[in-house]
Amino acid sequence: MIILLGAILGLGIYMIRLSEAYSYLSDDPRACINCHVMTPQYITYKHSSHREVASCNDCHVPHDHIANTYYFKAKDGLYHASVFTLRMEPQTIKMRPPSVAVVQDNCIRCHTDQVTDAQTASWVADHINSRTNRLCWECHREVPHGRVRSLSAIGYHIEPLKSQEEKELIVPEWIKKEMEKDKTQKTSDQ
Amino acid sequence: MAGKTNVRNWLLFIATVILFFFLGILASSIVSRKTEARFAYQPQTEIGANEPRNDVWGKNYPRQYQSFLKTSDTTFKSLHNGNALRDALDENPRMVVLWAGYGFSKDYSQPRGHFYAIDDIHNTLRTGGPKGEGDGPMPSTCWTCKSPDVPRLMNENGIAEFYSGKWADKGAEVVNPIGCADCHEPNTMSLQISRPALIEAFEAMGKDINQASHQEMRSLVCAQCHVEYYFNKKLPGKEGIPYLVFPWKNGTSVEDMEKYYDEIEFSDWTHAISKTPMLKAQHPGYEVFSTGIHAKRGVSCADCHMPYTSEGGQKFTDHHIQSPLNNVANSCQVCHREDAKDLIEDVYTRQNQIKFNQNKLEELLVRAHVEAGKAWELGASESQMKAILQDIRHAQWRWDFAAASHGGSFHSPVEISRVVGSGIDIAQEARIKLARLLSELGHNQPVPYPDINTKEKAQVFVGLDMEKLKSEKAEFKKNLLPTWMANNKTPGKQDVEISQQ
Repeated sequence: MIILLGAILGLGIYMIRLSEAYSYLSDDPRACINCHVMTPQYITYKHSSHREVASCNDCHVPHDHIANTYYFKAKDGLYHASVFTLRMEPQTIKMRPPSVAVVQDNCIRCHTDQVTDAQTASWVADHINSRTNRLCWECHREVPHGRVRSLSAIGYHIEPLKSQEEKELIVPEWIKKEMEKDKTQKTSDQ
Repeated sequence: MAGKTNVRNWLLFIATVILFFFLGILASSIVSRKTEARFAYQPQTEIGANEPRNDVWGKNYPRQYQSFLKTSDTTFKSLHNGNALRDALDENPRMVVLWAGYGFSKDYSQPRGHFYAIDDIHNTLRTGGPKGEGDGPMPSTCWTCKSPDVPRLMNENGIAEFYSGKWADKGAEVVNPIGCADCHEPNTMSLQISRPALIEAFEAMGKDINQASHQEMRSLVCAQCHVEYYFNKKLPGKEGIPYLVFPWKNGTSVEDMEKYYDEIEFSDWTHAISKTPMLKAQHPGYEVFSTGIHAKRGVSCADCHMPYTSEGGQKFTDHHIQSPLNNVANSCQVCHREDAKDLIEDVYTRQNQIKFNQNKLEELLVRAHVEAGKAWELGASESQMKAILQDIRHAQWRWDFAAASHGGSFHSPVEISRVVGSGIDIAQEARIKLARLLSELGHNQPVPYPDINTKEKAQVFVGLDMEKLKSEKAEFKKNLLPTWMANNKTPGKQDVEISQQ
């Protein structure tokens, strides 16, 4: 029995490591492309102005209560993981109704001053509700993933693999080497 | 009892087998989907380090490459510039006199797009008509900003070695026009610096270029070339090699760089008429832009000159690097909700208002050079001329700083007005000193303004033998240039490999 539990635990830890499941506890948008089907969503977001101020979780997970945040995240995440594992992901990924409500709430959470007016709210009945019950992206259709939300939205963009990001250097290695060589030559000449 | 335990053991065994069977499938599914990720969306053509051929990069990034190819367009014309060759000396013959004794008086055209970088340096009269290796007026350093073959050669042979020798020595090596490898890293496409001069200039200012943000990099890759520079032949350990240096040690303002040049007593050439040790401002585009309001608000070069565009639902950076005036919708209007016509008018107004004073300064400089020439003719001594020549040097440096910083009157109109204004003051100071000296030498009357209303007349006035220069160039294009193209040494070893994925 102990051997059995040990084996399950061992295999379990191995798979957690393999699938980087622990990254789902973070806010890093790259956790969302552990499954590569989300790459178009990631890359379109990475090319939008929202990348400077918001992560995936800021919009796609509720922020009204910390318990709700993690409950929703776990629920959504397990659903995604199951669909992906069973290879049942659709060609075009769309939000499901619970997500729509969450994202709408999150638009308003940050942009409340843009869509409602505190003064008006004091004398117009139902001002806040009437200003916020229409989905933002009915008009702002490009925000932030663009209008085409499928593979064709990105073409040959490089999926940002971790192994590549480590190599991002402003001054390439060869220039460093050549400049170093020039400097040592200079000192040996003097 | 024994039978029951047996059954239980068997059940446990079977359950374990099933459990591990599915755990195994799950593990292998994770592995296979992770492997997929290595190929999905991953470009299939291998691009080698320092790959100079733009079409090889273009196989992976067709949209960026095809928009880059549009820099070959020459149909756009703005009020003062455009993307076609415009003979600047023909439009403004005064510049021939200002640059008397220097290459720019021979031939100076408004630039075409990056696509023509190699063609245009072959064609200009400034690079002369070399007959073979070791011949011609220009050093190898002139290639530095023309091609992604440059980082390749610097990597193969060394930086100082690249700057050594004559321009003609590397004609068969430098053949691909400015392109992908000048700004991009081949594996991740991240922006990177490919020329050492900018890194060295940052070091000289005590800054670390590695700290640059992505938005800063969207200007800094341009600042590898669109900056003021000079060739320093006196670098310790590299004496005699025209080493490319940006004069930024004291800062990047017009006065900072002037002080730098004065301290090391550098001059690009001695003026043929006034004998002034002159400075040629190259194209301090980045330095001037940095003083303007757009830079202050965090706008980068690429935001206006390579704005985002979309094609078939895909958003990407337009690599047709050009005047934003030819693409107002994607550049200016992203932030400014005004009519395109009004926005263009705003640009032209700034340009015209600055040109108004710039033209005045130009005329004053022509007069100062001619009057200084007259003073030498009448036997002025070096000590009498010293302060005057220093003024002419400083005044023309300011004029050139404004004129050569293409777009400067839009990039930073207030700063450029200040630079031109101070140039007018210094030029008039020189002419007051000249008037005193001339009258001391017995010439108490105006020195006539030369008849230079065409480029041809101006070139005769400064003593250029244009026929000779043109025939030398024609001979070069007939004899040497075809051998360069035939011996094209761009490596073909990193051949395109399309994998079967």
